[in-house]
Amino acid sequence: MAGLELRNISKSYGAVSVIEGINLEVTDGEFVALVGPSGCGKSTILRMIAGLEDITGGDISIGGEIVNDLTPKERNIAMVFQSYALYPHMNVYRNMAFNLELAGKPKAEIDRRVRAAATMLELEPLLDRKPSQLSGGQRQRVAMGRALVRDPSVFLFDEPLSNLDAKLRVQMRSEIKQLHKKVGVTSVYVTHDQVEAMTLADRVVVLNKGIIQQAGSPMELYRQPANTFVAGFIGSPAMNFFEATIVGGAARTAPGVSFEFRPASRLTEGQPVTVGVRPEHFQRTGQGPGLTGPVSIVEPTGGQTFVTVDLAGQPTVVTVSGDDLVEAETNLTLYTSPQQVYVFDRETGTRLSEN
Amino acid sequence: MSQIAPAPALSVPAATTRARARRSGMRGKWPVIILFLPPALLLFTLFVILPMGEAAWYSFFNWNGYGLPDQWVGWKNYELIFRQSAFRNALVNNGLIIVASICIQIPLALWLATMVTKHIKGALVFRLIFFLPYVLADVAAGMIWRFVYDGEFGLVANIAEFFGQEPPFWLADKNVAFYAVLGVIVWKYFGFHMMLFIAGLQAIDKSVLEAADIDGATGWQKFMKVTLPLLGSTVRLSVFFAVVGSLQLFDMIMPLTGGGPSNSTQTLVTFLYSFGVMRMQVGFGSAVGVVLFVICVTLAFSYKRIFMRND
Repeated sequence: MAGLELRNISKSYGAVSVIEGINLEVTDGEFVALVGPSGCGKSTILRMIAGLEDITGGDISIGGEIVNDLTPKERNIAMVFQSYALYPHMNVYRNMAFNLELAGKPKAEIDRRVRAAATMLELEPLLDRKPSQLSGGQRQRVAMGRALVRDPSVFLFDEPLSNLDAKLRVQMRSEIKQLHKKVGVTSVYVTHDQVEAMTLADRVVVLNKGIIQQAGSPMELYRQPANTFVAGFIGSPAMNFFEATIVGGAARTAPGVSFEFRPASRLTEGQPVTVGVRPEHFQRTGQGPGLTGPVSIVEPTGGQTFVTVDLAGQPTVVTVSGDDLVEAETNLTLYTSPQQVYVFDRETGTRLSEN
Repeated sequence: MSQIAPAPALSVPAATTRARARRSGMRGKWPVIILFLPPALLLFTLFVILPMGEAAWYSFFNWNGYGLPDQWVGWKNYELIFRQSAFRNALVNNGLIIVASICIQIPLALWLATMVTKHIKGALVFRLIFFLPYVLADVAAGMIWRFVYDGEFGLVANIAEFFGQEPPFWLADKNVAFYAVLGVIVWKYFGFHMMLFIAGLQAIDKSVLEAADIDGATGWQKFMKVTLPLLGSTVRLSVFFAVVGSLQLFDMIMPLTGGGPSNSTQTLVTFLYSFGVMRMQVGFGSAVGVVLFVICVTLAFSYKRIFMRND
C-alpha cells in the first residue's frame, strides 16, 4: 500500500489542453472518487496515474516515488475497467492468474492467491468459466479479483459499474465498499454518478473542464459547495438556481419574491447573484410569507415525491414526502431557511453565503 | 403405477399440439417457399448443377468438343490424369502455395497489419500501398512481373547488372521459376490478408490490451497471449481463403509462365486449361475439373468442419 500524489499535472493534445494543473494528494488507504460530467478529464487523470496515458507536465508519485516515466506494470497499480477488459479466451482462473504468470510466480503461489481472491469475491464456482458465460455482475467481480490478486499499491476504478443495471449497481457498490474496508488499499474511483461517488468515497473530487472544482468529504461538498458547478452536480435532484439581485440584504428574484440567507462575504446592494436551493430544502411550513406557485408536474417515487412548481416564473423541483398528497395544477406554498439558501456570485459562480 | 398411468394420456395431447404447431408453422412457410424457392432453384440448377453434371458426364468420354460425345472411355481419363507427371507437379505446387501462404504470406500480413493499425503518421498511406497489389487484376500483375523478372531488360536483370552479376532468367529456369511465382503470389495477396487482420485487430477491445499492459505483458507476450488468440477466427478465415485461393490460381500464372518451363509452375487450374482446353481434350479436361471440384469441396468442408467449427 502507498499514498498517491499528483503535482501540477497537465495534459494536452497538441494545442488542446484537457487537464490543467491538477494537484491532489491521496493518503495511504484512502478512497477518493473523481466525479464530473463526460469529457471533464477524470478518466484521463486515471489513465495518467495508470501509465496508459503520458503526462504533458507535472509529477505523479506513488509511495513517494515519482512514476512519470515508469511503465504501467512498474507502477504496481491495478485497474478495473469500465468494460471489465477480461481476456475473452481465458477462463476466470487464468484471467486472475495472468499477471502472476507473467511475473513468473511459482504455480503454488499463483493458485493460493487466485483462490484467496476468488473466495473473497465468491468466485470459486466460476473459476472454469469463460467471461462470455458470466453475467455483468460476475464479470465485474472477476475484474476486481484480477486486480486483487496483484496485491497492488493503488487500485484504480474507471467507471466500473456503469454497464450494470440499477439494482446490480447498488449491490456492487456495497461490495466495493466492503472490499475496500477489508483490503484497505489506496483507491481512486472515477465515475460520473455523484451518488456512487458520495456513497463510496472518503473524499470526492469534483472536476469540470480538466480543473478541480472542489475536493472534500461527500457531506462537505453537499453542504458547502464551492461554486454553482459543484452545487448543481452534487445532490439529486439537482439544486434549483434562480437569478437574483441583492436588495436590502436579501436575494430578490422577482418583485415580492426574495430569499433570506447568511452572507459569508461583503455584498453590495444591487449585486447580481445566483440563488441556489436544494429540492429537499423547501419546506411546506415555515415563517414569513413563503413562496407560492402552481404545481405543474408530480413525480412520485415511493418514499419521496418530486414536485415541479412554477416559482418566480421558473420551474423549480421540490422534494416532498411520499405521504404528502400534492396534486398538479394546485398552488403550493413553500418556505426556506436562511442557512439552506446558497448564494453565488453570478459572474464567477463562487459561493457568497455562509452555509 | 398410479404415477405411470397418466403419462400416455398426457403425452398424446402434447404430441398432437406439437404436430399441430409444426403443421401451422409449415402452413405459414409454404407461400414463402413457393414464391422464393423456384427462381433460386432454377438459376442454381441451370448454372451450377447442370454444368457440373455435364462435366462429370463428359469426363467419361474421349471428346474434342465438336459434335456429340460418343466415344465412351469409362474411367480412362481419370487414370490418365493420375499418370501425368504434370498433374502431380500441379498438385504439389498447389500444396506449396498453401504452405507459402500459411508460413510467409499470412505472418507477413499479420505483422504489417499490426504496424499499420498503430496510430502513427503515414500508417493509412501504407495501408493503401500494401493493399494496391490486390486491387490490380491478376492478369495485369502477371504481365508486370513477367517484365520485372525478364532476364534482358527487367528490373531483376538491372539489379543483378548493378551488382556486377549475370542477369538471371528466373522464369525460364525450371528449378527457380516456381519460387519466382510464389514471390508474386505473396506480393499479390498479402494485402488482402492484411486487410482481414486490420479488421480483426480493430475489433479487439483496446482496454483488453491495456489490461495486459497493466498485467505486465511485454509487447511480444501481449501479441502471443492476447492479440493472436483473439484474432483466432480471423487467422482461420485467412487460411481458408488462402487454401481456396490457391486452388483457383490461374489468371496470374498464365501471363507469367503459362505453367512452364517443363510444367514446373502448373497449378491444378492451369493444368486443366493447358491439357484440357488448349489441347481440345474436353473429356480429359472435364475429368480434371471433376477431380479439382472434389479436392476443393473436400478441403473446404473438412477445413470448415475441423477448424472453423466455432466461428
